[in-house]
Amino acid sequence: MQSDIVGIIDQIVQWFGSLDPEILDAVPRYLAALVLLAVLIAISRWQGLGVGKRLIVGTVRGTAQILLMAVILVTIFALRDLVVIFIVLAFMALFAAHTTSENLDHIPGVFRVSLPAILIASQCVMAVAVVLGVVVPIGEYIIPMGGMVIGNCMTLSSLVIDRMWSNAQKQRPLLETALALGASPAQATRLTIIESIKAGLLPNLNRYASLGIVSIPGLMSGMIIGGANPVRAALFQVIVFIMIFLAVTITGFIVSRLFLSEMFNERMQLTVPPPT
Amino acid sequence: MTTMGTPPVLEMRDVSMCFDERPLFEGFNLRLDRDEILGLTGPSGSGKSTVLRIAVDLVSPTTGTVLCHGVPVTEYDPRELRRRMILVPQRASMFSGTVRDNLLWGLRVHGLSATEDELVGALDNVFLGREFLDKVAGNLSGGEMQRVAIARGLLLKPDALLLDEPTSALDHEATLVVEDTIRAVLEERHIGVLIVTHNREQARRFTSRVVELNNNNRKDSEDSSSMGVSQ
Ligand SMILES: Nc1ncnc2c1ncn2[C@@H]1O[C@H](COP(=O)(O)OP(=O)(O)OP(=O)(O)O)[C@@H](O)[C@H]1O
Ligand SMILES: [Mg+2]
Repeated sequence: MQSDIVGIIDQIVQWFGSLDPEILDAVPRYLAALVLLAVLIAISRWQGLGVGKRLIVGTVRGTAQILLMAVILVTIFALRDLVVIFIVLAFMALFAAHTTSENLDHIPGVFRVSLPAILIASQCVMAVAVVLGVVVPIGEYIIPMGGMVIGNCMTLSSLVIDRMWSNAQKQRPLLETALALGASPAQATRLTIIESIKAGLLPNLNRYASLGIVSIPGLMSGMIIGGANPVRAALFQVIVFIMIFLAVTITGFIVSRLFLSEMFNERMQLTVPPPT
Repeated sequence: MTTMGTPPVLEMRDVSMCFDERPLFEGFNLRLDRDEILGLTGPSGSGKSTVLRIAVDLVSPTTGTVLCHGVPVTEYDPRELRRRMILVPQRASMFSGTVRDNLLWGLRVHGLSATEDELVGALDNVFLGREFLDKVAGNLSGGEMQRVAIARGLLLKPDALLLDEPTSALDHEATLVVEDTIRAVLEERHIGVLIVTHNREQARRFTSRVVELNNNNRKDSEDSSSMGVSQ
């Protein structure tokens, strides 16, 4: 009995020993970060931020997802077939739309609206980038850049939807005034849409403006750590920003257009319920 | 009084409304002609604002027919319907910017514009001077906002104005000014005015006829001037 347990422990220790020393180095660091996370969750409880559960679920899920990604990354990065690469990107967009709709589960139609927006914007921008020769047409470049583009489209898409919805609840009288003057849904919500797209661009515009001084973004660091020439990495960072701005703006216009049909019916009546 | 043959600007026949299966009112009838001020009263929560929304098809009634110039409102392009009958909501909202921006807002959505003189004329209609054009709309007093909202609607040359408690937030003096404004507008434009009020005093003083909305039924009251309700 006792020797059984000792045997198992022995095996685990052996398995650990067989791991790459780089992994062994990272695991305690990961565990230390979890301690920080626990502190954050305690603060969230204490101050009623209400994000504790999301942080826990996000950590478990995120760790699993990214570990899986790490395992298949080498294969994906080595992809040369553009069709396969773009299918991978489409899959990422699908997941992004799903995440958006999970985070905004009190709003109807989020998935239906954000999927085409994120998909069209990211596929178009990445395709144009490939055709124009802006990115090197292999997985190693397209996938991480596409991931950044899709991530930003996802953020913007939830921001636009959330703002349009909450404005329709909070600023109901103003919206009703606009409709009562004969405005179409698009006209009545124009300012809200423009403001939310702007708000979505703002964090990236800040990062853009302070590029290289305050912010040393992920892609560039990654490329340099991976052994790329720093100047080459810097230029690619600017490229990726431009692609993000383009894709995000396209997402904003598509998602807002589509979401209007969730907020209004064909009689141009507001279908958003009043806040409860 | 009624010009026989010409359909009224607005007619509601046997309209009922439910929210979430809960009936708000039933069998409601109303007829609004040009050149008249019709009052709509009823206790708070009886559905007065809802009636006005139904009139311009901002919400659809559960049952019943709503006609504008004899044509069901559902057959209009909603934008055109709402231009013909301007609803000024209970809390008159101003768009950001100046009074001028606000006056032009309604015109722009219809692809129209107005000359400086027309804007001044619209303000004049509601007893506001031209100096108001460049004031920030959000800083106006409640009464001024109501009057700008009316002017903003009038620029679209509607056949009717539907005013939802335009004076409920105003003191007596400001109320009288708004009432005078509406009377003057009526005289000049020959439009129909439907005004929601729960001030009986105001209804008596100001309207030619009053329709009352009670919970779950409809009762015509006050003046009897025979126009009426459904046949
Ligand atoms: N979109 C909606 N969804 C559900 N209920 C609604 C909706 N709009 C109005 N109601 C309900 O209908 C009832 C009547 O509302 P309405 O605003 O028409 O009354 P009112 O007579 O104008 O009241 P007040 O004099 O206070 O302005 C209220 O109980 C309100 O909560
Ligand atoms: Mg009301």
